[in-house]
Amino acid sequence: MTAPLPTLQEARRALDSDETSSLELVSNSLDRAASIGSRLNLFLGTRDEAAMTAAEASDARRAAGEVRSPLDGIPVAIKDNMVQAGEPTTCASRILEGFISPYTSTVVERLEAAGAVIIGRTNMDEFAMGSSTEHSISGPAHNPWNPERSTGGSSGGSAGAVSARIVPGALGSDTGGSVRQPASFSGVVGLKPTYGRVSRWGLVAYASSLDQIGVFARSAADAAWLLEAISGHDPLDSTSLPEPAPHCSEALDGDVSGLVIGLPREYFVEEGVDPRVLARVREAVGELERAGAKVRDVSLPHTDSAIATYYLIATAEASSNLARFDGVRYGRRAQGTEDLTDMYQRTRSEGFGTEVKRRILLGTYVLSAGYYDAYYRKAQRVRTLLRRDFEEAFQGCDVIATPTAPEVAFGIGSKTSDPLRMYLSDVYTVSANLAGIPGISIPCGFVEGLPVGLQLLGPPLDEPALLRVADAYQRRTDHHSQCPAEFA
Amino acid sequence: MSQPPHPDYEVVIGLEVHCQLRTQSKLFSPAPVTYGDEPNHSTHPVCLALPGVLPVLNGRAVELAIRAALATHCKVHPHSVFARKNYFYPDLPKGYQISQYEDPIATGGWIDIGVEEDGELVTRRIGLTRIHMEEDAGKSIHAAAVAGSDSTHIDLNRAGVPLLEIVSEPDLRSPAEAGAYLRTLRQLLRYIEVSDADMEKGNFRCDANLSLRPHGTTELGTRTELKNLNSFRFVEAALEAEIERQADLLDEGGRVRQATLAYDANTHRTRELRIKEDAQDYRYFPDPDLIPLQLSDAQIERERGALPELAGPKRKRFQESFGLSEYDARLLTESRALADFFEAAAQAHGQFKTVANWVLRDVLQALGEQELEIERAAITPESLAALIRLVDVGRTTARSARSLVPELVERGGDPEVLVRERGLEVVSDTGLLESTVDEVLAAFPDNVEKYRAGEQKLVNFLIGQVMKRTQGKADPVTVREILARKLAESS
Repeated sequence: MTAPLPTLQEARRALDSDETSSLELVSNSLDRAASIGSRLNLFLGTRDEAAMTAAEASDARRAAGEVRSPLDGIPVAIKDNMVQAGEPTTCASRILEGFISPYTSTVVERLEAAGAVIIGRTNMDEFAMGSSTEHSISGPAHNPWNPERSTGGSSGGSAGAVSARIVPGALGSDTGGSVRQPASFSGVVGLKPTYGRVSRWGLVAYASSLDQIGVFARSAADAAWLLEAISGHDPLDSTSLPEPAPHCSEALDGDVSGLVIGLPREYFVEEGVDPRVLARVREAVGELERAGAKVRDVSLPHTDSAIATYYLIATAEASSNLARFDGVRYGRRAQGTEDLTDMYQRTRSEGFGTEVKRRILLGTYVLSAGYYDAYYRKAQRVRTLLRRDFEEAFQGCDVIATPTAPEVAFGIGSKTSDPLRMYLSDVYTVSANLAGIPGISIPCGFVEGLPVGLQLLGPPLDEPALLRVADAYQRRTDHHSQCPAEFA
Repeated sequence: MSQPPHPDYEVVIGLEVHCQLRTQSKLFSPAPVTYGDEPNHSTHPVCLALPGVLPVLNGRAVELAIRAALATHCKVHPHSVFARKNYFYPDLPKGYQISQYEDPIATGGWIDIGVEEDGELVTRRIGLTRIHMEEDAGKSIHAAAVAGSDSTHIDLNRAGVPLLEIVSEPDLRSPAEAGAYLRTLRQLLRYIEVSDADMEKGNFRCDANLSLRPHGTTELGTRTELKNLNSFRFVEAALEAEIERQADLLDEGGRVRQATLAYDANTHRTRELRIKEDAQDYRYFPDPDLIPLQLSDAQIERERGALPELAGPKRKRFQESFGLSEYDARLLTESRALADFFEAAAQAHGQFKTVANWVLRDVLQALGEQELEIERAAITPESLAALIRLVDVGRTTARSARSLVPELVERGGDPEVLVRERGLEVVSDTGLLESTVDEVLAAFPDNVEKYRAGEQKLVNFLIGQVMKRTQGKADPVTVREILARKLAESS
């Protein structure tokens, strides 16, 4: 087996000192994707030839002294819901069978402009609907820490690929926790930026008002590099914020003295959470206290309503967003249908998986005449209250610390028959999407050999604060450096 | 009062007009707005609803919508919202249409229309409920239209084209009023350059709501909706037919069902397409891909400043400043381009009434014959003024000048050069005229005799003969003088 991929920082240093080449990094990365990636079912497709060509070009730039950015020449993976011209995008769905995008997403364009080499598309829950990467046309992704466990989801392939040292960094999308929760399960860093920070142009929509592209990496410093490369205003996305990309790397000075960490009491109740997970999170907060941070209790009183609110809004938007997959213009169309209605029904019945159908039906119901006010409108009101909860909480603290997920990686197949239990996996993460605020999950220890994630939430646009705290923690601990023995 | 459209029932009509905004690109994508392009060529990933695309609102469309709202005295709202209207149809690529629903850009305006009552033109004010922006769907072309095919073809060139929906109050009381409303609205939209409002190209479409109620009552009857009325004549005919259908129903003691109808011009009948119970649930909700549209006072005022003089005020000004009749002023202000042409020609020439006559008589006739709009004609205001001036100074005759108008309209040119090249200059060579008069007197001795016997009006016949022999180029005043002198001399 080829050598594990270094971190982004290590790879940059090695490239700059000519100890390695982009070609070597990318070919290692592709080898590992083919071997480990296949075994764990982390990829839905790789682009070996194109990636090698891009690596050669990067090496040529380096030789000519024209390195574009710290990411130049470094292999990365993207979740299979971000389009790239000439490449398939499947969203792990049968309905997008055969679809090749004629255009490129803003994030891919920015990664390529930075010189990063995209090696392939990672496994995910179909249309990003799920918390385990089990609802995939290609079958479940397996957790590098224990292949019988879930990687988390929906961006499980990207989390797993970073965890198994196949790539130093990867992109995912986070609608209700789909970056942070798999980061927690897979023992890597997962950052969901402020809503509007990263352009959604070319991200196949699940729930437009909640979707946000995020990054996976092995350290806060690496995540900062990736965020800097992909964020900033994009005129192609009307919901994109006007602010330019943040200078996060500068904030990573290891200093958290005087910084106030809020602990929301609603997130630290013993019910529905593995106490050992809570213990790891408390230990991590203690470590930050020792580094000079102050800790205080805060309250997010509407937390109880978050899951219900999330599933009303997300499914409503999804029911409309997924209407375009009708077999008329692209993707898979059912054959031998009798008439238009039959074509729609069979195309969509055959093309979508169970979880996607469930959410489309839920969302259609939520928006129906006579139910709209009771469900959708009310959910929007609760959403406003949740946003206010955070505004008030951030009056008294700089960042909020919580567990990322109520448990460590659960067994594959253990929740697929009980959607409600699966939905509760998102209990700590959905609020950040509803409020539009940034959140990060960082490894903070282990329970029975499986990683635990610490979630940090910040006010809108304050990704630098999150990364500063995460980085300070990582300077004092080595949980993030742990690697499943098999892949080290 | 003129005769009501129905003796027993008052007719209540409200109209919904969809007009295409005059923009270069579509409402939410950079795809060009074209007419008659190859199918699916005027498209973009956004209009094809490819996975991952997002809408970006066309700022120009917003400006035009504001302009239309201001010109119709609507209140322009500083905050409006785009919603999704969800339904499945193959020519609706996203599975939803983006349209303003709960919070439109403008509400509560009016336009004045002129309607004939007892032979007189009276003004009626028609209320507008709302104006909102939305995108058009694509086009489905079914089996028969495509040779050798039994399937449906989809053309998405039109998908995403910006539309303005203008909804009237149920203030119209007859098909004729509906027609007048549509003509006035179309003229207005053209004046303010918001829409070409061309029904043939489908960029001015109309749906009508109609109900009847006994004269003297105020409660509205059950209304039906007539869809896709695509010409003015069609609208009026369809409304007539539907009045008849509803009146017959009510006369028989029946009830009108709330329904959507289509009009068949061949049978002059309306028929139900679907009844209200089958109405779709469109599951409207605010489009999360678009932020609410926020308009500042400055933006609204900028559009107010850009509004041109409208037809009504222009007509009054033409009447008051230039002494034109209401009828002439109305004709001249029919389109902004014609009014502008007239005004520029009149400024260049100086005599407004004279120029008005030339425009109304000769220019309009030539345009009609050549099936041209003034904006596409080659004639310029300056060339018309120059042509009339040639008549004024006696360089050519009015008759010769008029004969040149069709050519100027078609190809343009310098009237002075044309008059010279065509030999249309007035013959002021008195020697030639003297000898021509002599020839005529010699050729018609009988008429000369009768003239002298007292039939004075025969002089006109003799003048006509001189003009004929000079191909109309002789100055008639000079000819008359010479004739009078010669007839007197030889008596």
